Amino acid sequence: MKGDRSKAVTLWGFVIAALVMLSAPTLVVLGASFTAGNMITFPPEGLSLKWYAAIAGATDLRDAFFRSAIVATICTAISIPTGTLAGIALAKYRVRFAAGVQIYLLLPFTVPLIGSGIGLMLIFGKWGLLGQLWPVGIACAVINLPFMIWAVTASAAGLDPDLELAAANCGAPPLSTFLAVTVPAVTPGIITGALLMFILALNEFLVSLLLVDARIVTLPVQIYNSIRSIITPDLAAISVVFIAVAAIAIALLDWLVGLDIFLKSK
Amino acid sequence: MRPSRTSYPLSWRLMDAVEAVAAAVWPRSFSAAVPWLMLMPAVVLVGLLVLGLWDMADGSFRTLDTATFLPSDDYSLANYDRAFTEKLFFTVASRSLIGSLIVTVITLVFAFPYSYVMVRTRSAALRKFLLIALFLPFFIGQVVRAYGWLIILGSQGMVNEALGLVGVAPIRLLYNYPAVLFGLVQYMLPFAVLMLAPALTAIPEEMESAAGSLGANWVRTFIHVVLPLAKPGFIGAGLVVMTLSLTDFAIPAILGGGSQDFIANAIYDQFFRTSDQGMGATLALLLVAVGSIMVGVVFALFGAGTLAMGRSK
Repeated sequence: MKGDRSKAVTLWGFVIAALVMLSAPTLVVLGASFTAGNMITFPPEGLSLKWYAAIAGATDLRDAFFRSAIVATICTAISIPTGTLAGIALAKYRVRFAAGVQIYLLLPFTVPLIGSGIGLMLIFGKWGLLGQLWPVGIACAVINLPFMIWAVTASAAGLDPDLELAAANCGAPPLSTFLAVTVPAVTPGIITGALLMFILALNEFLVSLLLVDARIVTLPVQIYNSIRSIITPDLAAISVVFIAVAAIAIALLDWLVGLDIFLKSK
Repeated sequence: MRPSRTSYPLSWRLMDAVEAVAAAVWPRSFSAAVPWLMLMPAVVLVGLLVLGLWDMADGSFRTLDTATFLPSDDYSLANYDRAFTEKLFFTVASRSLIGSLIVTVITLVFAFPYSYVMVRTRSAALRKFLLIALFLPFFIGQVVRAYGWLIILGSQGMVNEALGLVGVAPIRLLYNYPAVLFGLVQYMLPFAVLMLAPALTAIPEEMESAAGSLGANWVRTFIHVVLPLAKPGFIGAGLVVMTLSLTDFAIPAILGGGSQDFIANAIYDQFFRTSDQGMGATLALLLVAVGSIMVGVVFALFGAGTLAMGRSK
């Protein structure tokens, strides 16, 4: 057909530009982590794994990573039951004031992160909870909760209410019905949501920055503090940890539920 | 013959006991309240946010006592007055607003073709590749991505070294407004593409073929068929990109190097540099108000669209 060529060329021009923009920082960080030099230079001064050896010995970076992992675990552990129950309730029942409840539960998205972070910092400070890791995990659960609820409601749309009635008809009491029929039906949503919550909490920067002190910095905060002074390749090596975790999360997501679910129209 | 009850598996008996407890604690007559009970944990969790906002509102009415460096006990509107009159805040606010508008437009221009190709391609492998290229930066976090840009754009970075090889003097690519906007576009692209994709998926491909067979070329098909039908997606994506870039902290801080502060950076400085909690709370609340009004207006005009959670109608 006439014009197909110009269409393809135009579209692909934008797509390739977008691909370069999206991937350049990741590829450069990966490349820089293998440099043999003491500075990040271009072209690189040869390949080595010495910066990986350096971060393996750097206790501050390693501790920061484990703190981030703890925060992400706490966040995920809180948001799975909370978001699943809320998601099923919103998807399955005709809740009175549903519109109001939805607006309320979307608050973490409508309130800018800096606002949520400062607000949580003020109340956690008032309750004397600052300086510990678990409030940071709770904060991450609060600010990303809509993702979890969204994931569960999206997959609950495929739950046929007749299945639950059938279970009840076969004599299953309500709790058994819930655990044996309802929950398995929304499991893809729970998996998607949980992965999102874990990854977002692992990467969470601003809220972490506001809630941690010098003794319990998380990894993104640690990297932020370091790049304000000097840029050395050990930061590239530790950043590769994030890249690796992101890659694993994507692989898991694709394997368990398929990345295509993000393209579906409701 | 029916086996005796004791021969049932342990898990059955356990489950029966749990059911009995649940039935005793929560009799069937309460069943109307079950959805509320299920919503309760989420409501409590988000309630922390509401408490925080309340605390900020309280703080915003207290001025900083310069003698004791403590917030005053009496309430006044002095902070709000300062927020609207001081030149510094005006500069920062207009920089963020104009910046987020530019970022929104550029991001949507790149997000639409990406989303379109991803949705329409016949090759499953290409679709997966585009999705992975999208999710990888999305899952890596802002700080690491900004760090990558520092390596590429820094004064001894890749671009400048490459320019040096062909004899061009180093150019200052970082710590200016375009660098911040560029970083924000890169940060926002995955959000925009993921919000546009469902809207494009919903447009039947036959519509485009129909426009084509009636003699429209692809540009006219896009302008008169695809873009209008994708409007809800554009509104959702534009809204998210606009609010997220308006309120971003990390990109202006890292790629702006302190000279290109956005509102969030000004708020942070009020709390941690000048220690004027009241002023910081005021600015943060104003930002919350601006963000909520933007979201509210769009929801009121066009419905919750892609962001909607809950029963599918």
